[in-house]
Amino acid sequence: MKYPTAFDVIVIGGGHAGVEAALASARVGASTLLLTQAIETIGQMSCNPAIGGIGKSHLVREIDALGGAMAIAADQAGIHFRTLNNSKGPAVRATRAQADRVLYRNAIRQVVERQANLTVYQDMMIDLTLKSDRIVSVTTRLGTEIEGAAVVLTTGTFLGGRIFVGKQQHSGGRAGDPASLELSEKLRTLPLAAGRLKTGTPPRIDGSTVDFSKLEAQPGDEPRPVMSFLGSRDMHPQQVSCHITHTNAETHEIIRRALDQSPMFTGEIEGVGPRYCPSIEDKVVRFAERDQHQIFVEPEGLQTTELYPNGISTSLPFDVQHEAVRTIRGFENAHITRPGYAIEYDFFDPRGLMPSLETKNIENLFFAGQINGTTGYEEAAAQGLVAGLNAARKVAGQTAWVPQRHEAYIGVLIDDLTTMGANEPYRMFTSRAEYRLRLRQDNADLRLTPVGRELGLVPEDRFNVFTARRDRLDVCNKVLARTTVHLNSDLANKLSNETGEGISKDVSLLDFAKRPGVRAEHLTASGVFSDKDEAFLVQALIDVKYDGYLRRQDQAIERSREQMGVRLPGDMDFAGIDGLSNELREKLENIRPSTLGRAASIPGMTPAALSLLSVHAKRHSGIRKTA
Amino acid sequence: MSETICAVATPPGRGGIGIVRVSGPACRDVAQALLGFVPSPRIATLADFRVIDGEVLDSGIALYFPAPASYTGEDVLELQGHGSPIALDRVVSYILEQDVRLANPGEFTERAFRNDKLDLAQAEAVADLIASASAEAARAATRSLSGEFSRRVRELDQSVLTLRIYIESAIDFAEEEIDFLGDREQHDQLAAMEGLVKELIERSTAGLTMQIGLDVAIAGDPNVGKSSLLNQLLGEDRAIVTSTAGTTRDTLHGELSIDGLPVRLTDTAGLRLSEDPIEVLGMKRAEAALEKADCVLWVVEDADENAAPPEEYRVKTLIVRNKCDLTGSRPGFLGEESFRTCALTGAGLAELREGLKRVAGFRTGSDAFAGRPRHITSLKRAHGALLNAARELSARQGELVAENLRVAHDCLGEIVGVTTSDDLLGEIFATFCIGK
Repeated sequence: MKYPTAFDVIVIGGGHAGVEAALASARVGASTLLLTQAIETIGQMSCNPAIGGIGKSHLVREIDALGGAMAIAADQAGIHFRTLNNSKGPAVRATRAQADRVLYRNAIRQVVERQANLTVYQDMMIDLTLKSDRIVSVTTRLGTEIEGAAVVLTTGTFLGGRIFVGKQQHSGGRAGDPASLELSEKLRTLPLAAGRLKTGTPPRIDGSTVDFSKLEAQPGDEPRPVMSFLGSRDMHPQQVSCHITHTNAETHEIIRRALDQSPMFTGEIEGVGPRYCPSIEDKVVRFAERDQHQIFVEPEGLQTTELYPNGISTSLPFDVQHEAVRTIRGFENAHITRPGYAIEYDFFDPRGLMPSLETKNIENLFFAGQINGTTGYEEAAAQGLVAGLNAARKVAGQTAWVPQRHEAYIGVLIDDLTTMGANEPYRMFTSRAEYRLRLRQDNADLRLTPVGRELGLVPEDRFNVFTARRDRLDVCNKVLARTTVHLNSDLANKLSNETGEGISKDVSLLDFAKRPGVRAEHLTASGVFSDKDEAFLVQALIDVKYDGYLRRQDQAIERSREQMGVRLPGDMDFAGIDGLSNELREKLENIRPSTLGRAASIPGMTPAALSLLSVHAKRHSGIRKTA
Repeated sequence: MSETICAVATPPGRGGIGIVRVSGPACRDVAQALLGFVPSPRIATLADFRVIDGEVLDSGIALYFPAPASYTGEDVLELQGHGSPIALDRVVSYILEQDVRLANPGEFTERAFRNDKLDLAQAEAVADLIASASAEAARAATRSLSGEFSRRVRELDQSVLTLRIYIESAIDFAEEEIDFLGDREQHDQLAAMEGLVKELIERSTAGLTMQIGLDVAIAGDPNVGKSSLLNQLLGEDRAIVTSTAGTTRDTLHGELSIDGLPVRLTDTAGLRLSEDPIEVLGMKRAEAALEKADCVLWVVEDADENAAPPEEYRVKTLIVRNKCDLTGSRPGFLGEESFRTCALTGAGLAELREGLKRVAGFRTGSDAFAGRPRHITSLKRAHGALLNAARELSARQGELVAENLRVAHDCLGEIVGVTTSDDLLGEIFATFCIGK
């Protein structure tokens, strides 16, 4: 049976990657179908109920700057906001929102339902049809064949998903939802390199059985940050506190005794788990010297007492979970509502993808999210946006758009994945970005909204808000550059009094602002700017203070653009290059970098080896020309 | 790698000993054919080198290093014979009749490198070793070859990594209660690293100077004894010395070695107004020589009150007060950068030689590294970044400390191989219990 209409782009999956993929594709004008096995779970947060965090909120702001849904949904669903790294400098400052799961899901579903060009259909994809290595349609469990010029697969943990609790295991995509088994088998027949990864969740706890008086309360930050460039505090629902407690020696002892019942230690799980998000049994074994581990007790929502004890994800048997949880302070009488579990799922080596996220071997098939070996809602959403956009562009006969490493964390994410692959679930950290000082939360819109507008991703109302903000920022910057602080003038005296910085000769306000003690409120208090400019000045001063570093990075970007853009031929014989170490040769043969820049990011690479590569690339192209 | 290669390993035409090196699987066969036996591994054995049951081509020491414990990682046979080019040639020709081909330039080193006997820095040091003009430079190159330079840079690289683990953890895992920015320890670590880099720069620069040597121009007014000084330093009658001003009309060159430091001396024409076209041409060449010199010896008569060199000299200038036999003053080092000499007798020249060594940053061979210009550039950039990191740490600008440490780490990575952000994260996860 054929579905009555054909689509430009079919997006499989309604999680964070699928939603942004479908929305992006539809925003740029492609007729788009979002195919999901359960409409109720569109926008579901399967793991912890939080959006953002260090490195992650950078991605969220970029998605937002490109017209995506995640940031506004977080503002509409956020019940606890914090600014992280407040003391460590603006480049690494980040925002995190605890979100009410139901409010978040509703916010996302509303955006999806209101989006023009986007159709939602509930069924499960089990098969796909290729015509000479190009995907042309997908087939559902009900036997419906749906034609799509391009398909974006966002299968999350569902592909061949297997859930482990102690020695019990069963097939599943998420607690309570079935796995995609037929599709997994089908995809494994295609020329794609499959692997298995693992992740886990903690047991959920009924808050009415927890003694909060024994926990340390952690209220949200004031002033309360907002996530979206279009967001405001008025959007936020009621705010609540999180809590902190700790495991103890008794907890660890119970876990240690039960290790022979953990599928991670008995070898039943072959998939690799993330090192930065270890299970509690992992922590107890690997860091045996620690006598306690921190647990963040996060509310699941406003309308439920259920809690998410972040920090004790586990795949131990239920009885051990129960016993261990009850040793924790405040949890002495805690009731587990859902046991924690580990889940193992299929992913495909992302080095099999082009930077557009289209698979190299099957034309018009795009992958986004955990299927590419990543973890996290924000990483998934970022890839979804890029894959959905590029699927639509491919169908429209346009070239792919992918931000570069110096333009966006999204660029870092995609470059890392497609160059280095994923040895473990990939999560974003600010230390992955070599241009960290320029890739900030505060300037994500300045970096991406103009290009997003050109691509058709950014609607007019958002763009108008952006231009107004940018124009005011420009005015502030111009006033800073053009104002001279004359020696002994009223202004000089006011500024000196405010900042404690002496002024011994005429100086431009810009140069004065470079001094470490000068802050935005000093400039408004001096009368040069009005109070409503303070937010803009805060941002202007970041660039002023980073100026020397940013200029040096500009030079580095320019240099690397020239050198690193050198293309390495697709059939280059890396093994035949004399003077490279065996180790490097092997890595080059595996990764087959397309440019010198990509080769440079391979661990252990040296300038001498790079110059060898460039010489050989040159020689190679010379031979081909004359041949 | 199945081919066996062979070449003369000593420079052509010099020396009392000539070494023929063979590397590859056919070494035992070559030994059997040429010596009639295979020498015991790593034991110097006196032997005749002869055609099977025939004439003796040469005789000397034979050394056999079975794989993998050899320079190239393959079977190696070394024949140390007499230096005569003809004898060497006959030995090589005979070996090439066995299943052996002539080695390409640098091929032994390349094989060593390919068999993981050398890292890139060491391989480059071998290139330096081959090119070394002086014994001191060879000693410096050997130290780098033995991996000491690599080892020191690697140690430094490791220290930077260790500090970055803390700084980056404090940034990326702010909720894990890791915040080391205020720790005195971090300041101390940075200061120690900065000192280490500085020392590496000095020792590498010295090593580099030991290889490329020092270009020294002798300049001064006419007839102050520049050519005599050149002759005395060279110990030969290179320049024509007369008492007529303007005798040296062209630049004269000579090379000498001060304790192994190669010094190229250029005697410039005396600077004076002249209409003699040849002399004018000579003075133009003198100016050119002054431009490329690392150091100028500004020669004046000791009796001359005004000994200051022309202000436009931008290079290091040593003042040589010559003809002290006429003033009767004691020759020797006068402090600062002044010397008193008598070029005719050689008095005071020993002190001047020491002065040139100081200019070169001379270190004894036990102390210098065979630095490559590229390495020194990288080290200098690393040094600058570490200084900045220390400044930002005092200002408690965590993200800028991190930025400078990243730059420093990348610079060191240019020498010993880069550490990627993924490597760094791996170290962080191994060090701290990260993760909610």
